[in-house]
Amino acid sequence: MTGDTTDGQTESATDSDPGDVATDGGDEAAADGAGIVPPDGETPTWSERKQRSQGLSRLTYEYFERSRREDQDLRQQSSYVERDVLAFPTWPHETVRNLALMSFFVGMILLLSALVPPHLPGPADSGSTPAVILPDWYLYWSFGLLKLGPLNPDLSLLGGQKLMADRTYGVLANLVVVGAVAVVPFLNKGSARRPVEQPFWAGVGVMGVVFAFTIAVLSVKNLVSMDSHLLFDLAFLAPIVCGIIAYSVLRAMREGYMFDLNRRYYRLRPPK
Amino acid sequence: MSIERKDEHDHDAWMEERDLTALESIYLSVLIWFDKRLRIVDYLELLEDLYYKVNMQMPKSHTEQYNLDNKFWYWYPLYALGSFSTIAYVVAAISGALLGFYYAPAAAAADGTPSVAYESILFIMGDLNLGLFLRSLHRWSAQIMVAAVFLHMLRVYFTGAYKEPRELNWIIGIVLISLTMVFGYSGYLLPWSQLSFWAGQIGVEMSLSIPLIGEYVAQLLFGGFTPGQATLVRMYILHVFLLPFVVTTLIAIHIGIVWMQGIAEPH
Ligand code: HEM
Repeated sequence: MTGDTTDGQTESATDSDPGDVATDGGDEAAADGAGIVPPDGETPTWSERKQRSQGLSRLTYEYFERSRREDQDLRQQSSYVERDVLAFPTWPHETVRNLALMSFFVGMILLLSALVPPHLPGPADSGSTPAVILPDWYLYWSFGLLKLGPLNPDLSLLGGQKLMADRTYGVLANLVVVGAVAVVPFLNKGSARRPVEQPFWAGVGVMGVVFAFTIAVLSVKNLVSMDSHLLFDLAFLAPIVCGIIAYSVLRAMREGYMFDLNRRYYRLRPPK
Repeated sequence: MSIERKDEHDHDAWMEERDLTALESIYLSVLIWFDKRLRIVDYLELLEDLYYKVNMQMPKSHTEQYNLDNKFWYWYPLYALGSFSTIAYVVAAISGALLGFYYAPAAAAADGTPSVAYESILFIMGDLNLGLFLRSLHRWSAQIMVAAVFLHMLRVYFTGAYKEPRELNWIIGIVLISLTMVFGYSGYLLPWSQLSFWAGQIGVEMSLSIPLIGEYVAQLLFGGFTPGQATLVRMYILHVFLLPFVVTTLIAIHIGIVWMQGIAEPH
């Protein structure tokens, strides 16, 4: 909105006819739906703010000004209609579809809890240890990691003594697993997204999932009718085998798949 | 001078001349009433500003642009898993608040006699109208939330959605899934049943095995070296006070970031 419309404001607010009221006092509200209009020109631009400040805030505004310009350049270079971010709008596309699915989902929760009521074991008694002590199923993996004692290295330097207690080792294993998951985005970079584009990381993922499962089974080993040494070995071998299989299958699929992808997508929009 | 205050802008006359329907005039009167007192127009403007600025960040989806949608709709339910986690969390929060009316974290003995906490669960399950359903709902929604969060994480992993610029959301997600499990664990102790007690025992032992600070951690989290009354109250505060605030805030930030960045598309 420019400065000179403010003059006409009082006038138009009083004597306009009821059918067509200019409630905002201006006649150039861009309601043509042609796109997104930055709200007003009265907000000082980053350059203006920069001029008025000093020190760290000046530095901040200098950076903002620069990044605005970078955005602008990107937009102009691109053959794209809008800004150059690869994403699917959360609102309304994703949100509306999710709301529809969610209402169904809530219904399923209600049904399930009506059909399968919970159970309550006896009251706490420190005098009698139950035969089976278990947390909820989603903590089995962590519980299993606590039972890694046999893998705790005993250093010959220390005369076969263990470096740390088995319990400490188990708690540490939990931290290592969570930490490993946390650093994934900093190890796997680049623009590949689909498993076929990155068979190695898909293989690692499959290995992780299978390991979460086998280690959970290991945690309830006294309920599994299998030799416990065999089970222990399987808990570590199965994930590796599954990971390698996933890797090889995806590798084999890659060429044909990428051909398709290139035709459909990358030709239009080459990867960085 | 009259003591009666005047409407300087004569809103009534203005409304009169607009010839509004009943609904419109009620709406407008309420709006004007609030706006006079709270100047909500400023805040609405602020919100609108925000809305447009956020939308300026939003791209034209290339899924639409290149018409890829038909190729990935069958993956679509996987993209709803985050919302499923959220709604399961909401259901658990509501049913949990209702359960809280009847539950008391008190008199935790460990000698095989039912404690007050245990009795209150028995009461909820046995005598309270709809109580069994309420507890069932709370347990199931909690379990389903954990399952949905886990699957959500797998979805994010296998679609490579954690890559730049979404690393931060991945990290927040790790914190969220951990806190979700702590939520589950602390809730597991509340009925003070046999399993609660022994799960508490394992927790104490885990904390004790942390080098150097183990004993302090056990004191802080469990209030001692064997599960007892102190443990129960600490788990209760964790479960109904601390975690709800922290987790709700983190979920809001997590989804806010998704809103700003958009959903990563498979290409
Ligand atoms: C309480 C738990 C959580 C809630 C309520 C939640 C909620 C959401 C929602 C609603 C979305 C929108 C997209 C979708 O639904 O798929 C999302 C996206 C995302 N979540 Fe979560 N989430 C949770 C846990 C996690 C975890 C454990 C991780 C990973 C470690 C994670 C990482 C992400 C990432 C990276 C995105 C962006 C994905 C994209 O843009 O495609 N979240 N989350």
